[in-house]
Amino acid sequence: MGLGLLASRALRPAASRLLRYPPRHGLARAIGSTPERQSPEASAAQAQPDPAPELPPRKPVAGARVHLPNPEDAIEVFVDGYPVKIPKGMTVLQACEVAGVDIPRFCYHNRLSIAGNCRMCLVEVEKSPKPVASCAMPALPGMKIKTDTPIAKKAREGVMEFLLMNHPLDCPICDQGGECDLQDQSMAFGSDRGRFTEVKRSVVDKNLGPLVKTVMTRCIQCTRCVRFATEIAGVQDLGVLGRGSGEEIGTYVEKLMTSELSGNVIDICPVGALTSKPFAFKARNWELKGTETIDVTDAVGSNIRIDSRGPEVLRILPRLNEDINEEWISDKTRFCYDGLKRQRLNDPMIRGADGRFQAVSWHDALAMVGEVIHKVGPEEIVGVAGKLSDAESMMALKDFLNRMGSNNVMCEGNGKHPNADLRSGYIMNTGIAGLEKADVFLLVGTQPRVEAAMVNARIRKTVRATHAKVGYIGPPTDSNYDHEHLGTGPQTLTELAEGRHPFCSTLKNAKNPAIIVGAGLFEREDSDAIFSAIETIAKNGNVVRPDWNGYNVLLLHAAQAAALDLGLVPQSPDSIKSAKFVYLMGADDINLKDIPDDAFVVYQGHHGDQSVYRANVILPASAFSEKEGTYENTEGCIQQTLPAVPTVGDARDDWKIVRALSEVAGVQLPYDSVGGIRSRIWTVAPNLVSVDEREPTTFSTTTMRPNTNQKISPNDFGMAVENFYMTDAITRASKIMAQCSAMLLKK
Amino acid sequence: MAFTLRSVKVPPNSASLEEARHRVFDFFRAACRSIPTVMDIYNLDDVVTKSHLRSAISAEIRKNLHVTNPKVIDMLLFKGMEELNNIREHAKQRHHIIGQYVVGNHGLVQDLGAKEKDMSDFLKSFYKSNYF
Ligand code: SF4
Ligand code: FES
Repeated sequence: MGLGLLASRALRPAASRLLRYPPRHGLARAIGSTPERQSPEASAAQAQPDPAPELPPRKPVAGARVHLPNPEDAIEVFVDGYPVKIPKGMTVLQACEVAGVDIPRFCYHNRLSIAGNCRMCLVEVEKSPKPVASCAMPALPGMKIKTDTPIAKKAREGVMEFLLMNHPLDCPICDQGGECDLQDQSMAFGSDRGRFTEVKRSVVDKNLGPLVKTVMTRCIQCTRCVRFATEIAGVQDLGVLGRGSGEEIGTYVEKLMTSELSGNVIDICPVGALTSKPFAFKARNWELKGTETIDVTDAVGSNIRIDSRGPEVLRILPRLNEDINEEWISDKTRFCYDGLKRQRLNDPMIRGADGRFQAVSWHDALAMVGEVIHKVGPEEIVGVAGKLSDAESMMALKDFLNRMGSNNVMCEGNGKHPNADLRSGYIMNTGIAGLEKADVFLLVGTQPRVEAAMVNARIRKTVRATHAKVGYIGPPTDSNYDHEHLGTGPQTLTELAEGRHPFCSTLKNAKNPAIIVGAGLFEREDSDAIFSAIETIAKNGNVVRPDWNGYNVLLLHAAQAAALDLGLVPQSPDSIKSAKFVYLMGADDINLKDIPDDAFVVYQGHHGDQSVYRANVILPASAFSEKEGTYENTEGCIQQTLPAVPTVGDARDDWKIVRALSEVAGVQLPYDSVGGIRSRIWTVAPNLVSVDEREPTTFSTTTMRPNTNQKISPNDFGMAVENFYMTDAITRASKIMAQCSAMLLKK
Repeated sequence: MAFTLRSVKVPPNSASLEEARHRVFDFFRAACRSIPTVMDIYNLDDVVTKSHLRSAISAEIRKNLHVTNPKVIDMLLFKGMEELNNIREHAKQRHHIIGQYVVGNHGLVQDLGAKEKDMSDFLKSFYKSNYF
């Protein structure tokens, strides 16, 4: 909430009135109230004869736009005398927002249900005997809302005084200080002193696990966190206990909050009752530099803000993006940042004859790699891009190895024979936001809750709002919405494809059916056969139509979509087994046993993770928080990371390393700058250059995919993500993530 | 501590270029005469020969071949004398002598410089830092 705006609005009329009425000194003055607030009715009557409001039309708060579906349903209300048209069913508070008036609030949150229990949003409505709670009151035609009258002000002042009655004076030691709604609003609307002289109540702190720190005495019982947990996160862990002054927020029994979205309660808590445990006492928010970037720990590409001080990332916060993550992020995204400080590679290193690594200069490291790569045959060179690679570096790697004569460049997670020809065959065609229109979901071999928590939140939102049906094929899983477990493996899929399964009719009768296929299936030997079975289901269920494309692949890693767009497809699937020179660009999850013992392995990456044990040369690279890189998320939206902190040690950006190596190896790549490499990308995959845009696919897969004569193997579908908290080099290096998996995943 | 050679008082400025020239020769001879001592105290016998050191001294002097102002020559001589003194008094350590007069100033970077010629600007800045 804009404090400046609030403060100026609160102060301006008061000041002018003070000029009009000279201060009455003799009067016994009640604490903390301007004289006319003591008898608001009287002064309101005095203020009445003000000439008709010559208010300039105000801009809606935060650029909010109203969408009127059909103009007949629009109603007109007057906010401070200024008429606004709003659709029927909006609340008074929303109407005020459209009119450009920001109403103070604590319990109201536009993505949660309305509780109406804090009473901070009281406004005056003409002809109503009492001030009304604007967040819970529907706007009625012709309503005359007054937000600036002495009655409204006195009401707010009173609410503030009651809230502060039991709120500790913790601001100097509170992590919320500086971004606290209570602090801001008591500055703007509160009185300068309270009449409360007794002891404040205190509440026992609750243990919500390794992520959320609680100081429950600070809680103002707005119940936002409770509503978030039940509505969005879908866990019934938080609740209100007791009544009156004994009211407390807590987990009913000694229990941790086990949700992959639990970190968001830190953001929605208007006071400092719920704060971030890892961030506790680390910094004040005004010392931090915010960098708007995106997350790469899963394929969703949540929009985040990295807050850093100097060379250190101190916290990660969500950024609003209605199409991708709304205003939430998963706990992995939010708390993985301490992994950026541990286990980092900071110098080029060569493994000596004794098996130990020795730090060398870039010159020597590149010279060595450049020499070795010429000693092996072109077909023995294999490149693997890791799951966190950006498009630029994958382009450079592919170009470099192609120039060396090798065509074996792949991206981990995409399987042996990825289908990179049809874009609609590997992205989420419906779009993440588009999932809200679906009325039947079929999840095949995917557990969105652990694979892409934000997509799962979308599905949950849809299921809650429209009671959409969800069918699921895969191993038993812990899902936070109602679903029908159809089966565990490909047999169920075949039954569905042949129309023998009862769920087929549900799919057929659906208006907008959506099939979501997990990218874990890419790794199966029979992936082609499975995907053609899924396409048969899609065809039978009329899932892909000109007006609705419900065929979705839910990818697992940030690099996957861009890798397929750029055509990182190995020429021979098993090339790695006969390789003599393996270039691992951040690839840590490949099977290292596949690499022959006599192969020379170069590892380029930012963390000393699994592959480093096998590497002969280490080239240190920068992590996503330190570089500018293009990523494509699972719905095909192109986004960029921005550097928030400097690189560690002697590390370099990924594409620069490949570019430098190409020169040392004598096959110089023709680009020297990010701009150069982007124009090269443009010739390969033009969609990767239009940032923040989502290129919809043009073809429907159902007709274009070549037939396969693979047999479906009867093996059940597996879990693609075993441990939600540790999926890549950064999260595996993070201590907080290790604590989470130890405490929250134990059965 | 007695800094023997300098204990003679600072001579008056050379009156002419001719006189300065003679002083340079004197200095060269003085330096050459101290070579055996220097090799002895810094234990240089296994890394360098006397003639190499002599040519190193003359090379240092020849660096200033272009100087014709007797005042400047006097100043350079003074600095040279100071350096010689420091060396003879064991005010330096072995690696100083090796670094400066045996391997030479460019000893360690020399071969890199030769290669850098056919490097692109990109690679040159890549070796320096990530930010360019
Ligand atoms: S803990 Fe925070 S969000 Fe939850 S009820 Fe208390 S003040 Fe509201
Ligand atoms: S915001 Fe309206 S009652 Fe809390």
